Amino acid sequence: MLLWLFQQLGQDIRAFNVFNYLTLRAVLATLTALTISFIVGPAVIRKLTALKIGQSVRTDGPQTHLVKSGTPTMGGALILVSVTVTTLLWADLSNHYVWVALATLVGFGVIGWVDDWRKVVEKNSRGLPSRWKYFWQSVIGLAVAVYLWQSASLPSHTELILPFVKHGTIALSAFAFIALTYFVIVGASNAVNLTDGLDGLAILPTVMVASALAIFAYVAGNAVFSKYLGLPFVPGAGELAIFCAAMAGAGLAFLWFNAYPAEVFMGDVGALALGAALGVVAVIVRQEIVLFIMCGVFVMETLSVMVQVASFKLTGKRVFRMAPIHHHYELKGWKENQVVVRFWIISMMLVLIGLASLKIR
Amino acid sequence: MNATMMKRSAGRFGGDSCDGGAGTLWRHQNLPVRFWIISMMLVLIGLASLKIR
Repeated sequence: MLLWLFQQLGQDIRAFNVFNYLTLRAVLATLTALTISFIVGPAVIRKLTALKIGQSVRTDGPQTHLVKSGTPTMGGALILVSVTVTTLLWADLSNHYVWVALATLVGFGVIGWVDDWRKVVEKNSRGLPSRWKYFWQSVIGLAVAVYLWQSASLPSHTELILPFVKHGTIALSAFAFIALTYFVIVGASNAVNLTDGLDGLAILPTVMVASALAIFAYVAGNAVFSKYLGLPFVPGAGELAIFCAAMAGAGLAFLWFNAYPAEVFMGDVGALALGAALGVVAVIVRQEIVLFIMCGVFVMETLSVMVQVASFKLTGKRVFRMAPIHHHYELKGWKENQVVVRFWIISMMLVLIGLASLKIR
Repeated sequence: MNATMMKRSAGRFGGDSCDGGAGTLWRHQNLPVRFWIISMMLVLIGLASLKIR
């Protein structure tokens, strides 16, 4: 919206042409999302508290978590509003990738909202039944996958890129591309949701991965840089840097309120949406494997649940004291803050490794 | 009202004039992270100066 306005003004006053630069708009998007979340955040928390939209805490979890009962949840709605408004303000709205990313964010947000609403407001402990949750996630994931396959204009837009390998590409069939895209979007969404169990644990890795993806999007959308770094050129993908920057800004501001001891939780509405958004951006900029590396903490949390369930069903024994793995470390005696900050450090290292793939190949 | 219900209604920052400021201390535990966030924002602004001039 603002880009269009500044382009009109730029015809008369050349200074406004500075807003055509992606980098400047990305920085402004981060600051805008930060500002919106900081201004609206306290009011949202007050409103959620007044409406008694408080998290219920699992009684079989660590006993130290019982004190969290009643903390307002569904704060992810704040992130969603902030990212959506910021993207609408600063991105080029004629770019179809921007709309795909926004639709994914909002679509998964709605699924999370319904789940949270049923659990917290209607006091239905099951929330949205799992099969319906996965059904709607699959509908959106498959719709996005099919659309991206149909709209691909170059073979490189559907190839799987192998990081750290020079000219490492694997051509994908329609089925393979759609299956991979579906797996990345739905998998990332659920992985972030599983990780969101300690104060601030999910949001800062999300911010870091979104920031790294902003760089990948910028490079993929730039013919010169993508050629120099040996990455696929995806015209228009650069605008996703605005979307990622907005996620980073909104996420950072949310961490302000979500840091231990959290004043608000993001709930499924935030976790499902942010994970799916990371997934769809990674698919568009062709960095699925790099996303897998950078989201290592989310992957580890998901694997711990899968291993725990499989082990218990097959042998009747548990591998971890409790799954997801952050609870395992808590029960081993680590303080909540220690688990969170150590997982952040791991996430930071993994994001650095992912970024190194830009140059090392 | 039992202890659990009191916790639920008061949230994590519950406390009154008799708690010796425990509620306030509890709340201020997030100061380090908030200072990191401020620091991160300042680093971002510093990095932006690479391009904005």
